[in-house]
Parts: sequence; structure tokens; C-alpha cells
Amino acid sequence: MNRIYQLIVFMFVVGVVSSCSKNYESVPLGQQVTPDLAFDPRDSLGKNAMVYLLNTYLQSLPNGHNRIGGNYLDAASDDAVSSASGLPAVQAMATGAYTSTNTNADDDWVSNYANIRSATVFIVNINQVPMLEKLPNGQSARSAYRSEARFLRAWLYFGLLKRYGGVPLLGDTIRQLTDNAQLPRNTFEECVNYIVSECDNIKDSLRTAAMVNVSTYGRITRGAAMALKAEVLLFAASPLYNGGNIDNGNPLTGYTSYDINRWKRAADAAKEIIDGGEYKLMPVFRDVFTTQAAPVGTNTETIFWVQVGANMDVEKNNAPAGYTSAGGKGITSPTQNLVDAYPTDSGYAITDPVSGYDPEHPYDHRDPRFDQTVFHNASLWLNRAVQTYDGGLDKPGGTVQQTKTGYYMRKFMGAFESVPSNPPSYSNTVHDFIHFRYAGVLLAYAEAANEFSGPTADVYNVLYALRQRAGIFPGPDNNYGLKQGMTQTEMRDVIRNERRIELAFEEHRYWDLRRWKIAADVYNAAPLRGMDIQLSSSGQLFYNPISVLATKFRDPQMYFYPIPYNEVVRNPRMKQNPLW
Amino acid sequence: MYYKMIIGWCLLLAVISGFGQAPAVTGTVLDDYGHPLAGVSVSIKGGKAISFTNADGGFHIDAAAGSVLVFEHPRFDVREWKVQAGLKPTLALAARPLQEKQMKDVPTGDTILLSLMKPERLDVLYGQEDANRFLGSMATTRLLGTTPAPSYLYALPGRLAGLSVQQYSGFRTPLSASLTDHDIFVGDIPINANGAGLNDNTEFNIQLRGHGGSFGQSPIAVIDGVQREFYELDPENIESVSILKDALSNILLGQNSSRGALVVTTQRPQSGPPRVAFTAETGVQRPLGLPTPLPAYQYAYLLNEALLNDGKSPAYTAADFNAYRNHTDPIGHPDVNWYNTILKNDRLLTRYNLNVAGGSGVARYLVALNYMNQQGMFVTSPTNSYNTNADVKRYTLNSKIDIDVNKYFTLGLQLFGRLQDGNQPGVGISTILNGLLTTPNNAYPIYNANGSFGGNTNYTQNLLSQVTGSGYQTDHTRDVMVNLDLSYRFDRWVKGLWLKAKGNVSVSESGLITRSMQAPVFQQVIRGAGDTAYNQYGQVVNLVPAFIGTSWGRYRFVQLSTGWDHNYGDHHVSGMLLFDQKKILLNYDIPSALTNYAAKGSYDYQQKYFIEGAGTYSGYDRYAPGHQYGWFYAGGVGWNIAKEGFLSGEAWLNKLKLRATYGRTGNANVDNYGYFIWRQHYQGIAGTYGIGNNYPNGGGLAEQGTNGNQFLANVNATWEKADKLDLGLDVSVLDNRLQLTADYYHERYFDVMQQRGSAVALMGLQYPAENIGINLFEGGELNLTYQDRVGDLNYFFTGNASLQQSRVVFMDEQYQKYEWNKHTGHPVGQRFGLIADGLFQTAADAAAAPTITGFTPQAGDVKYKDLNHDGVIDQFDAAPIGRQRPVIWYGLTVGADFKGIEASVLVQGAMQREEYVNNSYVDAGFIGQNNGYSQAYQQALARWIPEAAATATYPRLTSGYNGYNFSPGFMSTSFFLRNGDYWRIKNVSLAYNLPYNWVKKIKLRGVKIFANAQNLWTHAAYKGVDPEVSLPSYPIQKVINTGITVKL
Repeated sequence: MNRIYQLIVFMFVVGVVSSCSKNYESVPLGQQVTPDLAFDPRDSLGKNAMVYLLNTYLQSLPNGHNRIGGNYLDAASDDAVSSASGLPAVQAMATGAYTSTNTNADDDWVSNYANIRSATVFIVNINQVPMLEKLPNGQSARSAYRSEARFLRAWLYFGLLKRYGGVPLLGDTIRQLTDNAQLPRNTFEECVNYIVSECDNIKDSLRTAAMVNVSTYGRITRGAAMALKAEVLLFAASPLYNGGNIDNGNPLTGYTSYDINRWKRAADAAKEIIDGGEYKLMPVFRDVFTTQAAPVGTNTETIFWVQVGANMDVEKNNAPAGYTSAGGKGITSPTQNLVDAYPTDSGYAITDPVSGYDPEHPYDHRDPRFDQTVFHNASLWLNRAVQTYDGGLDKPGGTVQQTKTGYYMRKFMGAFESVPSNPPSYSNTVHDFIHFRYAGVLLAYAEAANEFSGPTADVYNVLYALRQRAGIFPGPDNNYGLKQGMTQTEMRDVIRNERRIELAFEEHRYWDLRRWKIAADVYNAAPLRGMDIQLSSSGQLFYNPISVLATKFRDPQMYFYPIPYNEVVRNPRMKQNPLW
Repeated sequence: MYYKMIIGWCLLLAVISGFGQAPAVTGTVLDDYGHPLAGVSVSIKGGKAISFTNADGGFHIDAAAGSVLVFEHPRFDVREWKVQAGLKPTLALAARPLQEKQMKDVPTGDTILLSLMKPERLDVLYGQEDANRFLGSMATTRLLGTTPAPSYLYALPGRLAGLSVQQYSGFRTPLSASLTDHDIFVGDIPINANGAGLNDNTEFNIQLRGHGGSFGQSPIAVIDGVQREFYELDPENIESVSILKDALSNILLGQNSSRGALVVTTQRPQSGPPRVAFTAETGVQRPLGLPTPLPAYQYAYLLNEALLNDGKSPAYTAADFNAYRNHTDPIGHPDVNWYNTILKNDRLLTRYNLNVAGGSGVARYLVALNYMNQQGMFVTSPTNSYNTNADVKRYTLNSKIDIDVNKYFTLGLQLFGRLQDGNQPGVGISTILNGLLTTPNNAYPIYNANGSFGGNTNYTQNLLSQVTGSGYQTDHTRDVMVNLDLSYRFDRWVKGLWLKAKGNVSVSESGLITRSMQAPVFQQVIRGAGDTAYNQYGQVVNLVPAFIGTSWGRYRFVQLSTGWDHNYGDHHVSGMLLFDQKKILLNYDIPSALTNYAAKGSYDYQQKYFIEGAGTYSGYDRYAPGHQYGWFYAGGVGWNIAKEGFLSGEAWLNKLKLRATYGRTGNANVDNYGYFIWRQHYQGIAGTYGIGNNYPNGGGLAEQGTNGNQFLANVNATWEKADKLDLGLDVSVLDNRLQLTADYYHERYFDVMQQRGSAVALMGLQYPAENIGINLFEGGELNLTYQDRVGDLNYFFTGNASLQQSRVVFMDEQYQKYEWNKHTGHPVGQRFGLIADGLFQTAADAAAAPTITGFTPQAGDVKYKDLNHDGVIDQFDAAPIGRQRPVIWYGLTVGADFKGIEASVLVQGAMQREEYVNNSYVDAGFIGQNNGYSQAYQQALARWIPEAAATATYPRLTSGYNGYNFSPGFMSTSFFLRNGDYWRIKNVSLAYNLPYNWVKKIKLRGVKIFANAQNLWTHAAYKGVDPEVSLPSYPIQKVINTGITVKL
């Protein structure tokens, strides 16, 4: 018997040992996409490569709607404040509550370099994918895709450039764990030249706006590359970098000397777009922000945007707080400072006695863009008048999030003034966030041309075009309220104000204040203002300006963001920005 | 179970015989079931004669009248009995009535509670080892049965020296989402890439000698010789739990040997007639450590104060305030104590246990059936036909059969099954607890006048409606384990040679069914007399059923070992060879396989000098090919001085043993950092950029890692290593009445996974954790036990204390400007932050002080020390704050039994511990939650105001996120460090065993009634929150439990 049991033991032993035989692969074959699958040299469709590029798009292109902790970046400028309680991130930016360790919410050093890597991986590897697709003009689509990634990378460098000044340019190298990534910064000038040369090199392999169809809607176009170039050159020519270097002789924070020809380069780049005739202003200002770009849509003005799609987010986050059933968190409170920047509908500033401005009825007869940008008391919305007087539906007091200034942001929203639904509600509206549009190119041209050659007729024409489209009355002399024969300085002020009201909430004002090197004056001036409105028992409205937020700007330190502290201490070759 | 058996064993004696000086005494020994007990040693106190009971429990010994017989059995208390003269010389073994009569006459002899005696054989890894020969460091507890709890971990705090078992949740958290994620390219991919498989412990942080679960370093649970992470087992069903601490005793774990083993032994079969025990017990639970919310009027007052401090307009008028205080407008101005509204005390914890054990000499068996039902603390609604309260029901079956096929061949078969069904409110427990913590008393009324749930635009969900009206989620877990053990002794050929094989398969699957819904809330608006409107907020979601298979796992463990054990006179030699493999298949991941080849040898001379060595060649297949296998080894020496000639005459000294072990251990924790991290790959991303006019939301692809959290492949990853030294001392004196075990350890961990100090973002991907760090852990443990008896009173004290400290030796630290900024050289996990220097008392002080960029401090704000005197408070002023001293954990158990009454108390605590409270909403006031209008608690009353400037313990109130006082520049501050010392009466137990002759009359073999309590009383240095568990975790419970055990 015992021999039998021994045999059983033996067989069991053999059994368990042999059960350890291989029946699974030793590395996950299907669960992980290996590099040769991501950029598959056998795939003529480039399927995986295409979705890799899409993710690069997603990560690289910020959707500016309520981007900074739920607020618009413009709420960190003098145009608006956040209605949120406590210390919202955007308010910390407006009051200078950030350092190199406790960076501000717009600090994108880490994410931009991550996305630059992502773009470079595509740029380097796409050539091994034998894509056969052709553009309508017969050119290789593969080189268009490659150029899109190069555009994204240039765009990311531009994002770094305006935040930090000159930054390390990494080229086409993809580094791995064993490679040294402790690189030094390139100069401001090198960065500008790199971005510009990238734009020049890629623009002809990209689709033109007309080549975009319903399935390629949203792809980077030739116009985008040209607009990026114009924008970079406009920045480079601006006072902060061109002649106003805050750290004299430091090539990282700007040019070391002034050169007027930089304005010319900027003007020329913008002019090239204007002369191309690919884009033109939309007839109605309000529709620019809710209409898909041509040729898919009818928006002839949009050049470069972030695909956001159709939703109700902008309305729900920013509409007045009293629209509780349709939604309205009212997080954005435009300031009186912005409101005062709008001229009357005759084009004259409200301080001009001939403007017709009536402080008793401050919202009447204003530049139509005002009503299309800002909700004020008595604006119509969802079938009722907005009530921003004390105790009104949209400023009820208590703990509900509500306006701090007596205004709410209106821009970007669909036309929901009067709606047929009951209770009134929103419907999905296209909220593509526009980074470059033709109006901005016109303004860039006007600004650069005025700086280089003074207020020429071309400069005036830009302003006329914008004001005409806005709906300002041309007036008897067809001047749209503009003074004739302005000096260069007067014209500069007019262009800057026009830029402010035309491009409000489009992430321009915040940067303009810096590149014009006027941030210190603007932020450190009197506190931002709002309007307290009292409704008397007789129904009369009384307007009392109030202070809402004292912004701060440490001059000149805050003209650049600090490079994140860890980057500087972990990399001996990384030089911190001045005073951080 | 073990403990209960200890308590009562009956001695039924028939005595006898008065011929001569040493008449024969005979009798029967019965166990606590009234069954004959074999193998009891019977000796005459002070004499040499010894006898053993036979299979019928009978014994025969020659003893003079008046001498005292001592009965000893490894599983039972020692009993003594004085031989009585003058009784009939008949051997009346079978005469039960006589025995019972005799039993009454048993004099109050001395007995010793053997429960704390060190057993002869220790449960070590994969078997048992002679206690005298064990050189490692180990702590064991058998005192589990008195703990009224759903898991045996509840019984461990304070019981095992060196092991800190700290609770962080008072209720289990079931898996609520699939462990897999869908990748649009490759299908499902793992979220939990933990190759170690599932772990059902969701309530305790288990740390051995300072190493916790966060780095994959918590001890490995070894249940009945198999590595399997079962924690949710009824303490009643566990015979003992041991923790193996040093290198040598864990070295067979190979690449997991750094982690230590928590050796759990469930009840074992016993031979004999069937013993049936049924236990029913029910406890009432009450949450502890709930904060005290402020009534609405105080809340309104303080919020206004905070808003005014912020320069904002107040939110409440005097009329509001009065309405809150006088409760004149319960709808418009509610004052709801949500704690009383949604929580209910005295929810039940019910358990039933049925044990059947017995067997002949050839086969022994044990069947244990267990049912447990723990109810949660939420209120329920009688209108629901279904249960919404949190609860868990568990059914366990554990059956074991041991068969001696012949003299040399034994076979053991274990079948284990567990079914767990959990329930929770539709929105989930954590959502409710978070809401409970942050919803102010005045947020909204529970109900409006028309009976609808209250709410408003800020609160679109009503807490009560979430508790009772959001449907429910049920989760189900099924575990089955089959274990086969074969053992063969080749004594006929080679004396002492043996071969063992173990095969184990277990499967586990769990799923979650949600049947959730959402009720809208209404705000009652009175616009005029008779004109009341109800504005609806929130979505109406009707019941949506959904099913998720949350996990599926298969675990296989095979082990083959052969060894040889022999004595040559004074020399004892043993050796062992072992192969084992643990293979875990989780969902559809590639199975992870840990394979060990081990050898072990030991020698001792006269059980006086010991030496032992072991080595394991261990491989883990989640490392890159070529980097999978490594050597781990350990050795130990021991010297039992008590056996030396110069001490052998000393009767008082039972043991004086010095022991030392040293070894190199490993910790394969690569799975904690991702799935096959050495392999460069790309990861699919769901929902990416929509190219096209209808914004199609397809997939994206990115380098490995999740979006925004991508990292470089770590081609060089290897296991962490440790060099561990353990020095120990075991002393037993006074007939083992006093026992002391002391250990010192010095553990140097190296190749610890860390990110390099030069990890720059320019790389574009995050640097992975690499084998970089060196940490030193050092400490000591002491266990002291004293046990004795006075008459029928058996009593014992056992206390243990552990002291632990650590130091970062190397961490590739980035450049630090100042000495005080450096982390190297400080304890592992040292908190760094700003040093608070009280509160600013005047505006002038505040204005003159250095500040954090962007903030203008005011009177009542925290004052920080500017360590580098640059006028700015920033990261350069961050220094080590708080604990630098070693932490001390301790537990003290006192127990006694007297004539069937048993009692014990466990006090458990910690010293030199700290708590950091700023992130607790309770202490921080109106911080970021609910738009900055979060609930406020009693602590807020102690805020700084000019009138009470001197006594303020909290900064002035502000509303919303406060980047100055509460997390200055996202750093910690010593202002919110609190003394974390505490001790708590962790467990109290009282039981009474009814006398056998009473029980006999109702045809039972034993009845025990008992009551016990968990977390009965707490002393904490800081009283604001519970020292272990604070909201929003599920609060720790006080349980008072009563029950009865009936033995058949």
C-alpha cells in the first residue's frame, strides 16, 4: 500500500510542477500599445498616429472659457473680477499672490513642456507611417499633419515665451530616462526667431481655410500659422521686450535694445493676412462667437480656435445668478472700468461732452458691443430684465454666488434674450474658443503700423471697419466718432481702447497690459470699480460707484512669471527670471 | 475559540483507594464540552511520577491522600486537585453522577491560565517550529474572540508589539468601480495594477516597524500557510495571529521578505467526539468622534464675522440672526442638526457562529459556519420597501479535514467559502459623509411646508433625501478557497526525512449593483400672503439600475518542500529545500508570478547554542526579463543561557535566551508604480479633441501614464532591498509566570523607489520612481507578561510597547538653500512647514511682520517665523515641524477568570504622536467647501477676535479658501499641529460560564453568557477629532456586545 501512496505523492508533485507551464504571454501583448504600434510603419491610414495627434491637440490648446479655476483669464486683468467667494485662483493672480513655489493658476511650464514632447514625438515618428492621404490640392496630408504638430509646438513655445521670456528650445530630440534634460534657456530673440521660422516653414504644407471640410473642421490651417507669426512679432515689437527690457542687458527677458523695424515686421506679417483676403469681418459682432468657421459654417472671421463644441457651459457658468432654473452661476463680474471703456453709439468716449452719455441712464446709447459683452441692469435675458440692483433677482444678497460689480459677462453666449420655451431655457450653442480672429489681426496691424509709420489712413480704415461692423453710427463725416489727425500717441490710446472692448474676455487684455508695459500703472491704480444700484420705492434707480478689488502688481517682477522653483534648483543651468 | 476552550475544562475525578501509602487514584478528565480528554498529563505536585489520560480521558496514578495532582494539557488551564482519602477504592470512571458530585467537592486548587504561555510549537511561515529553536522576532496573540467586530484586524491594535494597526475608517468600503478602465485601442486595461491582487482591508493601516501600505510594504497576510489577503474574517474563527518581524523568519518570502508576514491561523481540527458550539451575539454600535456643529444663529454670526473680515458684505441681517436663534421661521431660517437627522445610534452588529469539530485518530475535522450582519449608522425610511442603510452581511464556511492515511502519510483538505453582501445608499456613503461634514445647519430645511425636500441653488441635493431617497447600491463578493496539504515522512528509510506539498486555489469575484435615483429639492418662496411658490432645483433621476463586475481574481499557490530533521545525541540538525510559486490572475491582466527557491539549515547543541541560515532565490515576473531574479538570505544565532551549567540549578529561571538575526530582504513593489513600467508604451485616452464639424469625441493616444501624469519607462526597475538586524532577548522566570521578550532592530532600506532629485519638467514626461533612496529604521519592542493565580482566581497582565524611529540617509535631494530646508537626515515622512509663532495681536504687529507674497496679514492672523530673515515668508522658511522623536505604541491587557467568570481589559494607545488638523474641515472653519460657506464647528468659537485676543486658539475667521492661515503658500504650518497622544479602552470583556451541573440538567455541555465592548472610552490629548478616524471617513464605532455560547 505504501508504495501506492508514495506514487500518489509523486504524481501530485509532478502535477503541480507541470501546471506551472506557460499559458500566458510574459508581457502584455494586447494591453499596451508599443511604439511600433503607435506609429505603425505598415499602416497607410496612420490610425494610431492620427489619434496621437488628436490628443496632442487636446492637451496643447487651452479652452479659454472659464479656464482659470472656473474664471476667465480676463478676470485677472482690470476688465473683470471673479464672483466666487474666498480667494479664487484668478484673484490670486490679480493681487500678485503667487511665487515660484506657489505658482499662479496660469503657470503652464510643466504642461507645455509635456505637450512639446508630445508634439515632437509625432513630428519625429510620423515619417515612418506610410500615410497615403492627400489634401484637396494634391499635397501629402502627412506633411500637413506633421506641420500641424509643428504649429502646436510653436504655439506652446509662444505660450511659454509670453509667460517666462526666453525658454529652452528642445528641437527635435526626444529624451529618455538616461538622457540629460538639464538644459539652459535660449534667449528671447532666439525663441521669437524659432517660432517665426517654424510658422514660415509649415504654412505652405497646411490646409488653407478653404480646404477644410466637415470632417477636417478644427484642423490647424495656413492662416493660423500666419496669425501666430503675426502675434509673436507683435509681442516681440512691444515695449516690454523692445526697448523696455525690465532687466537691462538680459537677453532672456527681451531684446537688449530698441529696434523700430520690429514693428514693421509685425505690421507686415499682419498685412500679409489682410492682403491674402482669406478672412473678413462677420456682419454681426455677437455671431462671431457662436458660429462655426467658414467654409463649414459662415464665420469668415475665425482663424484659429479651440474646438469646444455645442454646449450650455458658458451660459450656465456666467449668466446672471437669478436664472436658477435655466442655470446661471454668474461667476464673472465685469468691472465698471471695462464698462466705461465703451464709447457711446456715436463712437465718442463717454467722457466726451458730445458723446451724449447720460449718467442717470448710463447704459443707454452705448456702443452695441457693450450690450453684447456685458449684462447690466435692465438687459433682457431669458424673457425678463436682468436685475442687478440691490435685492434684485440677480443680486439677492446672502450666500448665493452673485455679481460683485453689478454686471455679468454676456459675451460668447447664444441669443437667449427672448426664448419661446417655458420655463425659459438654453439650448446648445457652439462655444469654440477663438484664439486668433480677423479683427485681432486688423488691430495688430493697426497697432504695429501706427508705431512704425504713425496714424496713416490704413490705420484709420481698420478702426472704421471695426466700428462699422460693431454698429456705431458713422456720423455725418463718416468718422465713427474718431478724431481726425490724431497724433501717434492719441492713436495708440484709441487702438488700445478699441482692442480692449473688441477683444474683451478673449484672453488678450491680460497680456496686452504686460506687453505694453502698463500693467504696473493699471494694477496699482485705484481699486477696480463696480456699480451699486439702489431701487427706490418709487422705482427710481440710483447709481453709486463702489470699489470691488484692489489689484496689485509688483513692478517689474511680475512682468514675467517665475520659472517654477523646482526647475531652477534641479537644473543648475536654468536661470530664474529677475527678482523671483 | 481557543481562548474559550481554555477557560473551562472540567475535572471529573473518582478517587479512591486507601491501601498502603500510595494508593491508586483513578478518574476521568473531560474537556469543556464534557467529552473525555486524552493526553492530559497528570503528575503529583512536587513529585516525579507522571501519567497521561487515555482516549477515554481516564488516568491512573499512585498518589497518597493529601497530595496534590496537577493536570496539564497544552490547550487548557492547569488544574490541581487534592487527593481525598476515605473514598471507596473503586474506579468509578463511568459513574457520572458520582463524578459530578466529586466535582463539587473539588477543592479550590491553584490553576494557571495557560493562554499566555508560549506554546511549544510556534506558527511560523509554512508550518510550525519548536519555540526553543526559534531565533527570529515574533509576536502572537490568541486574544481575539472577545472583539465584537467584522474583521479580525479590530482585535490587533495594542496586542502585537511592533505592529501598528490604525483604523482609518469605521466601516468597510466596497469596490465601487471596476478595477479596469476601457482603453479605446486595446480594450480594458487595469486601473489597479497591483500584482498582489485584491485586498479586502479597507479600514486599517497596518504598519510593521514603521512600514505602511503606501509603498507596498505592509505585512503579507498568510492564512493557514497561504498568502492570501483575507482580513474580513470573524475574530471568533481565528485561533491566533502572529507577526513575523525579522529577516530570518521572513526570508522564505523572497522578494516580499522585507514586508514581514502576518500569520493567521484559523481554528484547527481536534480529535475526539463531536464538539458543537453555537454562539449568538449582538452588539449595538455608536459612532465616536463626531464633531459638534454650531447652531444656525452662531453659524450666521460667525459667517458674517468672516465675511466682514474679508471686507465683504455680511450675508445675514439681524432679523435673520433672530429668526435662526428663536426658530420662528423653520422653513425660511432652518436650524437643522444634520448629525441627528441622518444618523442613528445603536445600530446592530449581529453574529452567529456554529462550530463542529471532532474526529478519530485517523481523521479529524472542523466545520465552522459564521454569519455576520453589521448595520450602518444611517436612518432609513419606512416608506421604502428596500434597505437604504449601509450594511454588510457575510456568510463564511471553513471546513478542514486532516486524514492520517497511514503512519507516515497525512493529508489535509481545507475548503473555505465566503459570501459578502453589502448595501449602501444610492449616492454612496462617502458622498453623504462629505455632505454631512460641510452642510451648515441653516443650509436648507429638511422638509418644506408641503412635505417636499428642502434645498436651494447652492444645495441642489438634500442630505436626508440622499440617505433615504437615492436608491441603493449593493455589492457582492464571493470567495472560494481550496487547500490541499500532503505530508510524507520517510522515517522508515531515513530518520527525520519528510516531504510536503501544498496546492491552493482560490477565486474571488465581486460585483456592484446600483439602483440609484435622485430626488429634486425645492425652495419654498413666499411672495405674498397666500402665494407660496416652490422652486425646483436639482435633477430628477428615476431609478437607474446598473451592474459593474468590479473584479475577478484567481490565486494559485503551490509549494513543495522537503526536509530532514534529526537529533544525534546533543546535536540537532535540520535542513529544508523549498519551492513555491504564487500566481495571481486579476481580471484579464497577465498573471503575476512570484517564484521562490529556498534552502534553510539549522543546527543546535543541547538546545543551548543555535545557528541557522537560509537563502532564497526569488523571481518576480513583473520586472524586465533578465532583471527578475535575485538572492535574499538571512542567518541567525541564539544562546539559551538558562541551559548553561552555571545556571541550570536555578529553578526560578526557565529561559534566558539571546538571539540575533541578520539578512538581506526584498520588496518587489513595482506594481505600486504601474503595470509593466519598464516597458515603453502608449496609452489610450478616452474622450479627446473632436476634429470635425459635429465635434466627434473619439479617442486619443499618449505616452504611458494617464494624461497629465505620464512618465518615462523605467527600464532599470528592481526590487527594494533591506539589510535587517534584529537582536532579541527572551526571559522566562518563576515557572514561566513572568515572561519578557525584548527586541532591538536596525533596518537599512536601500534601492527605495523615489523620483530623482534632478527630475526636471523639460523632459516632458515625469521621471518614474527609481531605485534611489536609503532609509534607516530603528526601534525596539518590549513585551512583558505576568500570570499567576490566587486560589481560583487566575489572572494575567500582558503589556507591550514599540518604539520606532527612522531617518532618511539618502534621497538624491534637490538643492536646498538652507540647512533647515533639507529633508535628508530627518525621519522618513517628516513634515516640513512654516513655524507659527502665535497670532498677531495688533494691526501694527501684523503690518510690521514679514508676510507671504500677495497677502497682507491682519491682527488675528498667524504669525510665521522668517527663518532666513529676508522679510518674506516662503519656502525657504519651511523647516521640520512636529515630531522628530520616536513614536511609541503600546497596549496593556489585564485579564482574570474566577469560578467560571472571565474578564479582560485592553488599553491601547500611542505617545509622541502628532496630528495635523488644518485639512480637517472641522478645524479650518469656512474653508473652500460649499463656496466657502461650509459648516462651522465648535472649534470656530475659539477664533481670534479683539475682545478675546489672549485666549484665541484659532486665527480670525475668513470665508473660503485661505492661502495665508490655513495652508500658507500650500505649505504646512506648525499652528495646526496637535498632540496626537491618546489611549483608549479598546476592549473590555466579561463572561460567565454556567456551572457544568446546571448546564447538564438542560442536556447541554456548556453555556457561556458574555458581554464585551470595543472602543469603550478614549482619552485624547487633542479632543477636536477622534485620534484615529475623523470625518469624512466613516466614524469609528463604540460597540457594546452581548451574547451566549451553547455547547452541545
